[in-house]
Amino acid sequence: MVTKAFKDLAILNAAKRGMPHERITFTPHPVSGKTPDELRAYVEGNDPVSGKPMMMEIVDALTRPLSEDEKKTGMVPINVGPPSFKDTAVNLQEYFLNNGMTDFLPIILPTEETVDAMLKSTSHKPDEVCGKMAAGAYPPWEFTVKQVAVNAVMAGCRPEYFPVVLAIASSGTPSLFSSTNSFAYAAVINGPIRDKLNMNYGIGALGPFAQPNATIGRAWTLLSKNLGNGGIPGDTYMGSQGNNLNYNNAIIAENEAASPWTPFHVQKGFKVEENAISLFRGLGIVPGQGARGTSTDTPKHEEQFSDLFSVFTGFFGGLVIADPLVAVSLKSRGYDTKEQLIAWLYKNTTQSVKDYKSRDFAYGFDYPRALKGLEPYATWYKMPDDAMIPRWPHETDINVVVAGGQTNAFFQGGSLSYTVSISIDKWT
Amino acid sequence: MNRRKLLSLLGMSPALLMGSGAEAQSHKKIASSNGIKSAAGEIEVLNPKGTPPAIQLIPMAPRLDTLDGKTVYLVDTGFEGGGFLLNQIQIWFNKNMPKVTVVFKRKAGPYAEDDPALWKEIKEKGNAAIMAIGH
Repeated sequence: MVTKAFKDLAILNAAKRGMPHERITFTPHPVSGKTPDELRAYVEGNDPVSGKPMMMEIVDALTRPLSEDEKKTGMVPINVGPPSFKDTAVNLQEYFLNNGMTDFLPIILPTEETVDAMLKSTSHKPDEVCGKMAAGAYPPWEFTVKQVAVNAVMAGCRPEYFPVVLAIASSGTPSLFSSTNSFAYAAVINGPIRDKLNMNYGIGALGPFAQPNATIGRAWTLLSKNLGNGGIPGDTYMGSQGNNLNYNNAIIAENEAASPWTPFHVQKGFKVEENAISLFRGLGIVPGQGARGTSTDTPKHEEQFSDLFSVFTGFFGGLVIADPLVAVSLKSRGYDTKEQLIAWLYKNTTQSVKDYKSRDFAYGFDYPRALKGLEPYATWYKMPDDAMIPRWPHETDINVVVAGGQTNAFFQGGSLSYTVSISIDKWT
Repeated sequence: MNRRKLLSLLGMSPALLMGSGAEAQSHKKIASSNGIKSAAGEIEVLNPKGTPPAIQLIPMAPRLDTLDGKTVYLVDTGFEGGGFLLNQIQIWFNKNMPKVTVVFKRKAGPYAEDDPALWKEIKEKGNAAIMAIGH
């Protein structure tokens, strides 16, 4: 049984898993938040897709003999079209747009020449398998270095950016995901490559002010669509409202020179002189301004971070994106390392057990873990409703990066979980 | 959109799936709605798509001749509201098909996590299962 909103997704995912004729009965959508009387009316009513009585359809699905199609075995290939297309530039732009291959902005057309130029920025062979990707619960698609290059060209990347795009692609992480929660993605770039590519980590670091910041993130979304088959509304994308960050994601080059703390990639085991990209996934980024005490001589940014995080679900991690002015201020007040700041935030950003249990993420993910005895969920679910618990299960759910041009002691907070760091050097 | 059209858009060949003479979607010819066409200005560009795996068809499980005297499992996958809907379905079975034994189970783990122990239990003790997905 599936609610009507997921009709196409249910049929297509069943097909991708080998059962294109799966017998599915649909209910009205949504079922969450409905009273028992409303749900009883659903059950006693009709399947909103077929128009037939729902329960009779279920009984029929369980008892009607199988058709020959439903008994079929064998392999079915998937057709994604020819290797190339030939037409005028105008028509090709329109074709790519109409066939879901773009982000609905004009693209750079990927000719053999432009793709070859991109491929010259890596030592890896064009036909080498770079990775696999799926944007939901279906078998992942595979792609080569050359197929990544095609998408990098489309996004407007210069050839020298290509190793960064390959590193992202190799992670298999899509920047578009099928969840109804409209996920957002971010990447933190560290190492000398930031300067080599002229990335912006100063004034307007997160804005549209530098080609690598803009196009690397755009390439991530295009390759998620084309190489991972993501971003098809109703099929591989179900985000109810969508997320504006999905256009080119939050590409954050850390301002290592102005930061008083260890660069993010070094925290993850890389050397300072190495180049790495670290990926984050979550719900989005919100601004924070006006640290408590700013008008006195004791600004307390850590308390403001905590206030900001108190509106986030703890399912995803917390990412502090601090301007260097904020980081320097915190260091002057005793936070010598990012880890010290993180420890304070973990201890002081709390929630009641009652609030925690009422969150849908807790019900869907943490409660089953609690039933299995996994900590801290098992303990949290045994505590009284008025007990206070941390906002996040683990201290490692909080991360800190430094970016910005020091025009304001500004900061932003991401409801974003760190997922993985990838070597960029490996893809040069 | 009906199932046949959906599967065609997926790139699955209806000819192979449906036993009909229809062909899978083809991208050989580029159809443009603006009508601009000039062979002199043509360029060739590469397909940006990755490579999907072929799909291994799985034959569906044989059906029951009747549900009377059989055990049907109702499986809550954990999406909010799914369990409450299944409770109403259990009530419906008890009222309208009392000869059916209905067992309600919450699948272990988050939505997408496998629960082999439950599948084993259903195979051993049940005759059919209904899963509720969506919220």
